[in-house]
Order: sequence, then C-alpha cells, then structure tokens
Amino acid sequence: MPIIETRELRKVFRSVKRVPGALGALRTLFSREHVDRVAVEGITMAVDEGELVGYIGPNGAGKSTTIKMLTGILVPSSGDALVAGLVPWRERKRNARNIGVVFGQRSQLYWDLPLVESFELLRAIYAVPPARYRRNLAAFVELLEMSDFLSTPVRQLSLGQRMRGDFAAALLHDPRIVYLDEPTIGLDVVAKEAIRTFIAELNTARGTTFILTTHDLADVERLCRRIVLIDRGTLVFDGTIESLKDRFGRQRTLVVTLAEPYAEVSVAGAEVVAREGDVVRLRFDRGSIGADQLIRRVADAYSVIDVSIEEPELESIIRRIYVEGYDERGRPLAGGRVAEPLA
Amino acid sequence: MLLPYVEFARKAFSREATYRVEVFTNVGSLVLRVYLLRSLWTALYAQNAGPADLPLHAMITYTTVALLMSLVLEIDGTRMIRDKVREGTIAIDLMKPISLPLYFFSDGFGQTLFHALLIVPSLACALLLVHIDVPGPATLAAFLVAFALGYGVNFFLNFLMNAVAFWTLETFAIQLVIRWVSDLLSGQILPLSLFPGALGGLVNALPFAAIYSTPLRIYIGQATGDDIVRALLVQCGWLATFAALSLVVWRYAQRRVVVQGG
Repeated sequence: MPIIETRELRKVFRSVKRVPGALGALRTLFSREHVDRVAVEGITMAVDEGELVGYIGPNGAGKSTTIKMLTGILVPSSGDALVAGLVPWRERKRNARNIGVVFGQRSQLYWDLPLVESFELLRAIYAVPPARYRRNLAAFVELLEMSDFLSTPVRQLSLGQRMRGDFAAALLHDPRIVYLDEPTIGLDVVAKEAIRTFIAELNTARGTTFILTTHDLADVERLCRRIVLIDRGTLVFDGTIESLKDRFGRQRTLVVTLAEPYAEVSVAGAEVVAREGDVVRLRFDRGSIGADQLIRRVADAYSVIDVSIEEPELESIIRRIYVEGYDERGRPLAGGRVAEPLA
Repeated sequence: MLLPYVEFARKAFSREATYRVEVFTNVGSLVLRVYLLRSLWTALYAQNAGPADLPLHAMITYTTVALLMSLVLEIDGTRMIRDKVREGTIAIDLMKPISLPLYFFSDGFGQTLFHALLIVPSLACALLLVHIDVPGPATLAAFLVAFALGYGVNFFLNFLMNAVAFWTLETFAIQLVIRWVSDLLSGQILPLSLFPGALGGLVNALPFAAIYSTPLRIYIGQATGDDIVRALLVQCGWLATFAALSLVVWRYAQRRVVVQGG
C-alpha cells in the first residue's frame, strides 16, 4: 500500500484583480473582481514507503503548492490525498508527527539560540523519548559532522552548517516521510555531497520516504530512481530516470577523434555540432540511425583514432521539456513554449 | 502534552535574556518616565489643576504602578504572527504538531516572565525618586488577580490585531492606531476617572479599561468591596469574549494561509 496517494489533487488560487497605478490601487480596494490562477491541475500519483522521489518542474509549476497540500497547510480546491493513512489538511497535527520538512531557503532553527537548544525544543514538540533522542542526535552529529558547532547560536552558523542543522532538526523524531525543498541550494560542492550522502544513508538504513523538490538535477541524478515531473500544474512524466532519458532524450552525441586534420567533416544521418581540432562532435537521433551504423559510416570515410558516445544529460533533457514542451510520449507540443521567467 | 509549551516559554525567556543592552535601556527609560510624570503631576497639583477626588500621592502611585505594569503588558508575543505571515515562515510552524495560538501565548509568557523580573530593579530605582502607597494584602491580592485577567485581555487583543495580517499581510497602521487608542483608553496614561461625564462612562465600558484601569483602580482604592467583584466579573466577561473571538478568527485564518513566495 502506498504511503502517499493523491487523486486528482487540484488547487486554484483566487486573488483580487489588480489594476495598475495609484488610482488602480484605490479601485482595487473596492473592486470585487477576482482572478483565478490554477496552481495544481489534477495531480494523481502514488509513492511507496521507502521511495526517494524527485519532484521537479520549472518555477511556478505547482511543486510547492502540492507539497503544502501534502503537509496539510493548504486545503485543495478539489481532489483527495492520503498521507500515511491521514487526510493531511483535516488532521494537520497528527499528520505533522509523521513528516519532516527541510526548506533550503528557510530555517526552522531558533535564530538566537545555540543549535542544540533547537534540537531540544523539537524533542519536546514531538515528544521524542529521551533514549531515542540521544541515539538520533549522536548519529546525526556524527554523520553530519556537527560536533564543532552544536553550541553556536544559529545566526552565527555558515549556510552549510545551518543546513546540516536543519536536516538533523527535520529528522530527530524519525518521520516516515520527509519533504525536501531545494535542500542544497547555495551550498558548496563538499556540503552538497555531505547532504546527499546523508539522505541516501537514511533512505537505505531506515527506509525513510523522501520527496525531493529541487532545481539541482545533480541531486536528482545522484539520489532518485524515480522522477515526477510537473509543468504548469500538470503531471508531465512519472517514471525512472532511465525511461525519461529513453523517452525524451533520443538525441545522442558521437565524439570522434580524427587521425588526420580533415578540412571538412560531414556524415549522413548526423549533424556536426562542434569541432575542436581533431575532436568532432556529431549529434544523431537514436531513432533514425543506430550508433553502430553511424560509427561504420564515419570509419569508412575518415581515419579515426577514437570514438565515444555521450548519453544525454538529464539537465539538457529537462531543459528541453521546460522550454519546448513535450507531450507524454515525448512528442513536441504544437507551438512549443517559453519557460516561465526565473523568479 | 504541555511540555512543548513550557519549553517555548523557557526558550523565549532565555532569548530575551540575550539582549542585555535592551534590558538596561528598558529599566533606564522607565525610571526616567517615573521621574517626568512625578514632576508633571506635582506641578499640576501645585497649580490646583489636579482632580479633587485623587490626592497627589495617589496619582503618583497610579502612574508609577501603571509604568511598572507596562513592563509586562507591552510585551506582545503575538507580534511574530505578523512577521511570520509576511515572511511565510508560518508554514514551517504549521508543519509542526503544535497549536499555534498556544505557542504564541507561551512564547509571550516566557518573555513576560523575564520582563516581570525587571520590575524589581525598576521598582527599586523608582522608589529612590517617588513614594508609592502600598495597599493591604487583600487589596493587593485582588489587584494581582485583576492584573492577570487584564494580561489575558491584552493578549487576545494583540492576537486579534496581529491576526489581521492573515488578510492584509500588513498591520502596522492598524496596530499604531489601536495602540494609541488603547494607551489612552486603557488608563495607562491617565486614570479613567478624569474623563468627564458621558465620555467617562463610555471609556469605562470599553474593553481597554480591563487592561490597566481595573487593576489600578483596585490598587489605589477607587474600587472597594462589591465594586471589586463587579470589576473582576466584567474583566472575565471581556476575557471570554475576546478568547472566543480569537478562536473563531484563528479558525478562518488557518484556512486562509497563503504562504508568501510559495
């Protein structure tokens, strides 16, 4: 039985229509005209316990709105959701006991108090038994290397230290489900890796379910087997990273190192996208020509030292989906579209 | 069950204690105000401008005790509602298994306890400048009960004011107006008996009077016997009204949470 289940989850935000200008502001005061904005348009999905799902989409796609409904702080306009057997917005407090949340851009730690005092406060909030609290704290302090700054006031911590503190804070009560919202934003490579290792470790060792919302696809590639992609409030893709690449990333690059300095290189069925000295990059569509066939054509026409095939990067696939718009079978939507401007 | 709220209060207490400069400024400014008001009233009484039914020493007692009470009553634990709604951090609190109104109350209570400690040094300093009357133990006990009830009324009034942020996101102007009105009409600055005729009747009928005026009237002996009982009952009535109103407002506010920058 899935631990998270949503059916046709939908959220429409209603706001008073704004008229620009000073007079407009005055009119807004009395105007009863409303604008409806659909944030989430009928999301249906199921997540099993112990899964680590990457929930991704461009800015304004409805990711945060979905998470807020699953955490019980937003009431959907229609549709159902069950999280660990509870309807989150009807039983906010009971649901809160099952979940942990980490926001990369917001901290749940007490700004003025030493880090460890925030942990103690959380122990009281979730009524964590003393023995379990001590065991968890000791484990997290070791895994996240926090011993040096446990008694430092949070406002004096570096971003990397604060994030590690926030992770420990979200997990002290052994939540079954953890929502991560951009958990590695702004972190350096080392801190990112520490956080990723920590997530992977908890997922395997304790079977904690993670829903990871991020724009850093390296997070997703490193951690998630499954991706749920939403765009403009609608679910665009739900499956493994491999099948995403398979479906959307049909273009491959063949990198050829030539033995002689040919003036011009051209091969039927592929397009030269870059050339640097002896190294030529050829893009081809996996559907219309096989790699072996292409390599044979190249080798027949030119003298070659080395060939390799580059898999498409998740990042470039996702970017193309955002910018161009694809249907579920990987066909471009008519007209394409321009991605939402970065907020 | 109550453990987290005790912890919230403790944390708020130690948080307040970290701002040492503010502590000294608070006590300093209070003592200064005690001195200024003493000078003002002494001068006014010397010109026979003081009210007839309130001798100078009672007036000085009134203003000094009012200032000491303000150390506690000016704490607004619910102010963080406004900040949290505006910054969107209220979402994080709502993702915790706690009752937010109780959280705000206990946080404010922790701050209050710390500031209540400041009453001692403030009083000691004030006594160097002014003499204040001390009523008998029964009156003093009634005063403390009235003070506690007023504290409750004040909390819910602040809560309601700050909860407006759920609808407007910005409550500064409203707060400023209500703060001015409440300072004047609660009896913090002047005894409400100074308001003439019908105005006096109106002012006494408003809920603000429950905050400063009722406990102070008991303290300086303007209310005695049955008057005290009646005044306390009126306070209880206001407390219940505002508490009920707060519950209703909170229920709607929670539904309305639209987190900024979501």
